[in-house]
Formats: sequence, C-alpha cells, structure tokens
Amino acid sequence: MSSRVPGASIPASAGIGLRSPHYAHVAAGTPAVAWVEVHTENYFHDGGPHLHELERVRESHALSLHGVGLGLGSVESLDRAHLERVKRAVRRFEPALVSEHACWGHSGGEHFNDLLPLPYTEEAVEHLSARVREVQDFLGRQILIENLSSYFAYSASRLTEWEFLAAVAERSGCGLLLDVNNVYVNSVNLGLDAARFIDSVPASAVQEIHLAGHRRNPVGGRDILIDDHGSAVCEDVWALYARAIDRLGRVPTLIEWDTDLPEFEVLLAEARKANAILERCGELAA
Amino acid sequence: MNSRPEVAPLQELLTRFAAALRTGTAADDAARDMASQIVDDGLEPGRRLRIYRNNVQAMFYGALSRTYPVLKATLGDATFESLAREYRGAHPSRSGDLHWVGQALPDWLHERLADDEDDSWLADLARLEWACEEALVARAMQPLQRDALASVPPEQLADTGLELQPAMRVVSSPHPIWSVWRAHQPGCDVEGMDSAAGPQHVVVACIAGQLALRSVPREPADFIRHLRDGGTLGAALDASTLPVAALPGVLDWMFEDGLVVGLRPAATPACTGGAEA
Repeated sequence: MSSRVPGASIPASAGIGLRSPHYAHVAAGTPAVAWVEVHTENYFHDGGPHLHELERVRESHALSLHGVGLGLGSVESLDRAHLERVKRAVRRFEPALVSEHACWGHSGGEHFNDLLPLPYTEEAVEHLSARVREVQDFLGRQILIENLSSYFAYSASRLTEWEFLAAVAERSGCGLLLDVNNVYVNSVNLGLDAARFIDSVPASAVQEIHLAGHRRNPVGGRDILIDDHGSAVCEDVWALYARAIDRLGRVPTLIEWDTDLPEFEVLLAEARKANAILERCGELAA
Repeated sequence: MNSRPEVAPLQELLTRFAAALRTGTAADDAARDMASQIVDDGLEPGRRLRIYRNNVQAMFYGALSRTYPVLKATLGDATFESLAREYRGAHPSRSGDLHWVGQALPDWLHERLADDEDDSWLADLARLEWACEEALVARAMQPLQRDALASVPPEQLADTGLELQPAMRVVSSPHPIWSVWRAHQPGCDVEGMDSAAGPQHVVVACIAGQLALRSVPREPADFIRHLRDGGTLGAALDASTLPVAALPGVLDWMFEDGLVVGLRPAATPACTGGAEA
C-alpha cells in the first residue's frame, strides 16, 4: 500500500468514530485527531467514494476496524462471505485494531442486524470462544470483543458479564474492548454494579475503551437507557471512565457518536475531555 | 448448589429469541414464550423484549430509508414505514451488512403494485434509487478517452463494441421518475417538479466519486442497453432506432461522462482499460 504513516498501533489517547460528514475534517488534519475507528461493514464494497475517503484518511491516521454485523455468538455457522469481506477490508486498510461484539445476530437464515445478548453460561463461553478462535484463525490476527448494552437479563445466566468476558478472552486469546457507556447503561437497566464491573474486568485484556452517549426512555414507570450513540458522554460515564483509567492505565479511547451527528468540533471537545483524564493518569504514574 | 431451573441449551434459547424478533402474529406468540426466559425484576419482561423487537425493525427501516429517500419522501413516513414492515415480512435481511436489505424492493414493489395504475410507477422510482445505490459502491474502471475510437479503422467501426462502466444502469419508466428524483435533491424544489413530463430514461453511473444521472431520450437509452448487452455499435444503432446523425453526439457525452472503459474489436475477446479508477 501507499506510504502510510501510522498503523502498527493505536496511540494511547482519544480518537473519534469517523462518519462520512467528517471525512474532510479528519483528512485535513487540523486540528489533529489521534486516530479513527470506522464500522467495517461500511467499507465492504468494491469501490465508491467511501473507500476512497477512508484510503485518504488512512494515509495519515491510525485506524481501528469495528464490526457490527458478524453476529459472532449466533448458533448457526458464521457467514463466510461476510468474514471474507472483513478480511478484505483488513488487507486493504491495515488497521491497528479489529473488533467485534460479544453478541449473536442471526438465526434461521434471517439477520436481525442488532447486537443481541447471549446468556452468561458455560456453554455460551465455550461457543463464543470457539467462534472467536475461528475468526482469529481466518484473519490471522487477534481481535477485540466488546461488551454489550442490554435491555434484559436471561434467567439462564450463571456468570456475571465480566466473568463471561474474562473466560472468553482467556480461552480464545482475544482482547477486550471495554465500552464504559454500556457498563453504565446495564447498571441502570439491569440494576448491576458498574463500579464492580470496572474493578473486575481482566485488566491485561483491555486494549481499547469506547465512550458514547445514550438516551433515557420511560418504560413501565422507570427509565431504561437506550444505547443510541446520539449525544454527549454523561457525567456518570465520565466518572466511571476515570475509575477505569485509574485501574487500567492509558488505554486508547474512542468517542463514538453515530446518530444525530454533531459538528466536528463537538467530537473534538469530547476527545479533549478523554485526553485530560488519560493525561492525569500519566502524571499520576510518573 | 443453587436451586435454579436447568439452563436452557443455547441453541434453544436463541431460537426462541429469534422467533420473537420476526414479523407477524407468530412473533407475538413467540415473544410471550421468550418472556419466560427473562429475569423479572419488576419491569415486565415483555416490555424489555419489545425494545429489541423495535430496534430490529428500526434498523431495517433505517437502512431502507437511507437507500430510498425519494420513495420515502414521496410516500410519506407513515406509509413508507408500513411498506417497510410488509417488505421485511417478505424479504427479511439475509446479511449482517444492512446495505443489501433494499435489493429486492423494486421487484417486490412492482408485483405489489401491478394492479394499481396510479402507483405502479413507484417501482420504477425504487429501481432508479437502487441503481444509484449500486453505482455508489461499485468498482469504477478508468474511463477511455474519446480519441481511442478514432484509432478504429472506419470499416471496422460498426463491428466494434464498447465496454461500459460495470455499475452503469439505464432505468426507464412511463412516469417522469428523473424529475421526481431531481426535485428531491438538496437545493431543489419539490413544488417545481414537472410531474407531467411523460416517460423518462435515466443513465446512472458514479464518476470520479460522484453520482451522475443523465436523463436521455428513449433512443440513446435503448442504444446504451444494447451496447451493455454486448451489441456492436452497428447492431446497437439498428436495434435502438437511434438516428445515425445523432450517434456522434451520443458518443460524445458517453465518453465525457466516463461511461466507456474499453473497446471490443470485431470478433476478438473483450479488451478493456482494466485499471481501477
């Protein structure tokens, strides 16, 4: 490929989720964005302006490819054509990180195009670990698995979410992508202890953090948080993030904003807030 | 040891969940069944499950909305949403890549509206929007310059074929679909739409990263179709009834628009530029 500058690793600072209205801002490089992440499926095609724009951004920015459509934990076999396209995107863009979700997504030939939760059972750990190994073998590299936001808990679950993720990471060799907003969303939706999650997730496995906004939906006389990535990170999530950084150290952190996309400057301001927390951690370490 | 019930096998659990996420009345029954597998912490499990059911439909609807913005604007949000729900029942998503969920909509709409004289043209509008979608994600070949045709000996010209951009599409309708489409583009005025313009033929391509639509008369549209299907210049001219005198002008804009990517000399295999743009 052409003379790409970064690529081997993601800087331990804040990056942004790159969406098409912001291509020109990022490619221009002023002000600088440390790194970007895109949804892998948006770059599956044979040509077109999106591929061209990402090639341009990639010349000067480290990249993470984040998949949303593989449905890793589905009981039916993985869609090999989809996986082949992931591999093609990895070859084309040479990302520093490749990630997916601890979810399922298809059954009976129908894809639901949503990140659907798995029960936290020993069987599901084995199943998801095998799938992650299958993907890593096919791609020839490690992937990261992200924790989900959830709107219900299975009666069948026997493990905590962090125990589930830790077991999958250990058995498959994958890394973890810790979505702090999702931890917070689940704490409200399911009455879980967010701080305990942050304190218990296997530190050595976490290679990336996601931060995003959510919206409150009244359901049955209480608030349910919907993980819509359509607003600024809330103060409770910033506090959890600071707790995570205190424990995990400087971890590359992504500002995700996918709906009701704001001006680019708003994303940069969110990234600056994350960087301030990351830098404070660096000072403490020094 | 705990006294909780046996853990349902993963396959059974996800199959029950999946049944609750589909469309139709059977999914309502399945949702009641699946609710029994969800922790009840005071918020009714069925309401929690409904968030996923709504999300799945919203993702499908959102993808169709992005692919068919003009159809959606023409029908109105409520009708389009109802149509999306019905379409999903007939053509559920078959891929983790949402881009493709709208692929079958034009043909499905054509069948659905076959007996509806007033609205049957909407299938043509959908076909035009899908052609735009395909053009925007297709591999573009390096366009050939007009001069290349001058190198063909005059006596061989009629037997020469033209290789065209793979994603180029020609969409025809007895209704003014191009006028409707254009009126809904940013900066244009729907009120000023010429809805009495009659049949329209549109050539769709993506050139240098930009979607390019050109409304043309029926004869050039037929001519290009014949070329695309492998016809030589002579055969396409005969079959399309394009006047010979109009040919240079049509070739001029075909080359200017970057539609031509190679020449196919008489009785030889295809010879294209071969390079990606």
